Amino acid sequence: MKSKRHFPYFNCENITALEYRSDKKFMKLQYYLLIIILFWSCKEKFPVIEEFGDTNYNLVDQKNQKVVFPDFVKDKIVVMNYIFTNCPDICPLSTNNMRLIQERLKKENVENVQFVSLSFDPEFDSPEALRRFAGIRNLDLSNWTFLTGDKSVTDAVIKKVGVLAVPNDSTVFKDGRKIYYYVHTDRIQLIDTEGKIRKNYKGSTIDVDEIVADIKRLL
Amino acid sequence: MKKVFLIVTLFIFSSNIIMFAQQHKTQNSKLKIENAWARPAVKYSNSAMYFVIVNNSTKADTLLGAESKAAEEVEVHESFKKDNDRMGMRPAGKLAIQPKSKLEFAPGGFHVMFLGVAKDFKMGDKIDVVLVLKYGGKIKVKAEVRDMPTKQN
Repeated sequence: MKSKRHFPYFNCENITALEYRSDKKFMKLQYYLLIIILFWSCKEKFPVIEEFGDTNYNLVDQKNQKVVFPDFVKDKIVVMNYIFTNCPDICPLSTNNMRLIQERLKKENVENVQFVSLSFDPEFDSPEALRRFAGIRNLDLSNWTFLTGDKSVTDAVIKKVGVLAVPNDSTVFKDGRKIYYYVHTDRIQLIDTEGKIRKNYKGSTIDVDEIVADIKRLL
Repeated sequence: MKKVFLIVTLFIFSSNIIMFAQQHKTQNSKLKIENAWARPAVKYSNSAMYFVIVNNSTKADTLLGAESKAAEEVEVHESFKKDNDRMGMRPAGKLAIQPKSKLEFAPGGFHVMFLGVAKDFKMGDKIDVVLVLKYGGKIKVKAEVRDMPTKQN
């Protein structure tokens, strides 16, 4: 007669040696399953939000050199933000947070990370404007690139990554210069070594500890 | 008779001026501007200044605006949140400072905006600004150019 299944937690006396071994196996299996689930749920914190795939964009950097994005950062983790240099508050705040992340990674000897800042106002943000924007802030450009280019191309990039930038207001100076102010997505983005966008953060209020931990997990 | 009238008129007029000046000074001394700093900026571009106005008096005051020769235009602005993760900026208008309270100008919120700065704002530079208050009059402020203080620092 087939014996009833006993649960050792409730009635230890009725366990046969065979049943005990099979329950032990069952518990082991449960442990393994738990570990797999935990691993899977951790991995799920980095779902692929968007991926560049084979799509590349022809842009220029702050030295006015041609750059193919994201090809030029292939095989690197990328921390990226989206700015316009006439922005007095939010973009400098986001840029300063990028600097803090860069300093922290350097301090912890974390390598293979590239920082990228793309202007969504290329009509004003020439390579020289970007170079001066970085220069006045004493930014370390050894692993940080500022990008600009044709408006149609920068628009295509921000559309791809889910960033919005809409001119909201403008100032006309005495000499006729006109500058625009944008309502824009406040974002720093984490892109993995395969060009997949893995996480979005608010650029102006990002938690440096959080993104540094995320970078280490992606490396 | 005319002389006496003239002397009395002058006396009343001058005493009124002295009283007004004293009142002005009292109000002004009870308003303090703390931790003024401004962001670095390249000539002709824009910067923002942040600070805290502390009103130690029992009377409310109003910030009417700001003046500076360091930029082509100086305006009081605020950053605002639109939808979930978009940010914009708009003029803040006149801002009330309640009695015995503080009004904070901080990144992501109120700021004095310098439009078209007259020269590079380099780290460590001091920028002269005048804040114009309804009762407190004009308060001179020196803002140091630097990156923002953060909790990480």
